[in-house]
Amino acid sequence: MAGSYATGKKKFSIYILLTYLVLILFILVTITPIIWGLITSLKGTGEINRFPPTIFPEKLDLSNFYKVIFLSNFTTYFKNSCLVTFLCILASTIIAGHAAYAISRFNIKFKEQMMFGILMTSMVPAVALLIPLYIMGVKAGIYNTGFMLVLVYTSWRTPMLTWILKGFFDSVPIAIEEAAMIDGCTRLRTFYTIVIPMSQPGIVSSALLTAVYVWNDFLVSFTFVTKEELRTVSVGLYSYITQYGVQWGELLSAVMITIIPIIILFVLLQRKFVDGMAAGAVKG
Amino acid sequence: MNGVIKLNKKRNEEKILSVIFLAPAIILILCMTVLPIIYAVNTSLHATEYAQIKEFIGLKYYREILGSVKGWSAIFNSISYVLMSLLLVIPIGTICAVLLNQKIAGRTFIRTLVIIPWVLSQTVTALLWKWLLNSNYGPVSYIYYSLTGQKIDFFNTPLAAKFTVVLANVWNSFPIVLILILAALQSISADVYEAAQVDGATRLQTFFKITLPLLKPIILTTVVLQSMEYFNMVTLVYTLTSGGPFNATQTMSVLAFKEGFEYWHLGYGSASSIIILVLNMLFSIFYMKTLRKKD
Repeated sequence: MAGSYATGKKKFSIYILLTYLVLILFILVTITPIIWGLITSLKGTGEINRFPPTIFPEKLDLSNFYKVIFLSNFTTYFKNSCLVTFLCILASTIIAGHAAYAISRFNIKFKEQMMFGILMTSMVPAVALLIPLYIMGVKAGIYNTGFMLVLVYTSWRTPMLTWILKGFFDSVPIAIEEAAMIDGCTRLRTFYTIVIPMSQPGIVSSALLTAVYVWNDFLVSFTFVTKEELRTVSVGLYSYITQYGVQWGELLSAVMITIIPIIILFVLLQRKFVDGMAAGAVKG
Repeated sequence: MNGVIKLNKKRNEEKILSVIFLAPAIILILCMTVLPIIYAVNTSLHATEYAQIKEFIGLKYYREILGSVKGWSAIFNSISYVLMSLLLVIPIGTICAVLLNQKIAGRTFIRTLVIIPWVLSQTVTALLWKWLLNSNYGPVSYIYYSLTGQKIDFFNTPLAAKFTVVLANVWNSFPIVLILILAALQSISADVYEAAQVDGATRLQTFFKITLPLLKPIILTTVVLQSMEYFNMVTLVYTLTSGGPFNATQTMSVLAFKEGFEYWHLGYGSASSIIILVLNMLFSIFYMKTLRKKD
């Protein structure tokens, strides 16, 4: 018995070694493009345009970051992205949250059909809606406004968020609400003071997904906003390519500034990201 | 009596509340998703001049798209893009998930590093890869140069560009597959594996005979979700290659986007959008039918 256990253990450790090797390979592939971008952003222009490329910067040069932060419109793009993301999280969570609670708890006719309809609309691809929304936006006079961005993001996030939040509300035990209502609590108060705090983890997860969606979006922002002062980060990045030739040093510094907040958020709240993602995908 | 009145009052209150709770969501969805689809159908049937809708021309745009090399090569590019991406993303995601499902030291740390590409946008993905594969200053080009004495340009030859776009897409999206499969793996009970071990199954046997069959439903779901995602994808391809060189990476979605917002052919673009929508619908119906057959 003891002998077989020992050989089993030996096999095991070779297997573990192999696992680590493969996983390290995975990590190398996932971080190399990011690290290479980071290294480049810390080099001076002369060193960037050199062949063969240097692996580590010979001299740490922060002039690219300086140019991006102080001498370009990038801070405006950054502020715009923050504002639009914040407003969309607020609006979509409130709107989808109420709809999800109504579907989860109230006696509504055609509930199944409604959920199916919402699911279907969440699967309509963005690219199919851009052109009609563009024409409608121009006619309604909201083309080229921040309002249009918030409106489009919020309404496109609503179906998926409603599905995810309904799932989270369903898991709040109904008995607690009934007890509160017997004690004279109204429906509305029960929802705001009991159900919402209890589903807080789910609400945070889905809000994070919305944040990533809005922060990372290029298509909507590129299509509906052309004014320099309304541009968001994704489009702002792309404009480095056409506007100044390609200024790789500045471009990559801007990329680093764009991805750092989202990476920090992800590393700190990884569990919540993954939960929301799994809930959304399985339902969708 | 009193109780009945109370109950009725409560029901009425609930009715009013449910309307108030649901109305904003439903109005938004109707105005920003359903109405635009109807509008796009209408636009696609009329001649357009910039944002002006002119005379009715029936299915002319549809005939133009489906009767041209440009249209069919876009559809072919979409299919090959989806298939090549799936062929890489599913095995890579599965292998990585199985490896990360073991109790090994540093698992959370490794998982974090591996998932990071998923939180980066398609624009950032495109820019990072564009720089990494840059033919003049990039390290990959340098390695190729020191081996062959020639620089390599990934964005100038059609075949290389096709693979580059797929590669960047796989890098950006395999974490989703990984997360979904890892979640499914964690729900498989340990008893199954213990039983297999008692029966003397090797690791490979366990994987192919037990793990893979149990993962089949989630893999199928993932394939469907990702194929729609890839088929409808514009940003990554547009920012990485703009559909070039020589339209080699111009998928149907990129074609619709470019026709609309580069050439301002809004009628033609709308028709392409509707074709994309119909293909999506056909695919979902096909998916639901196969799922029902399984049940």
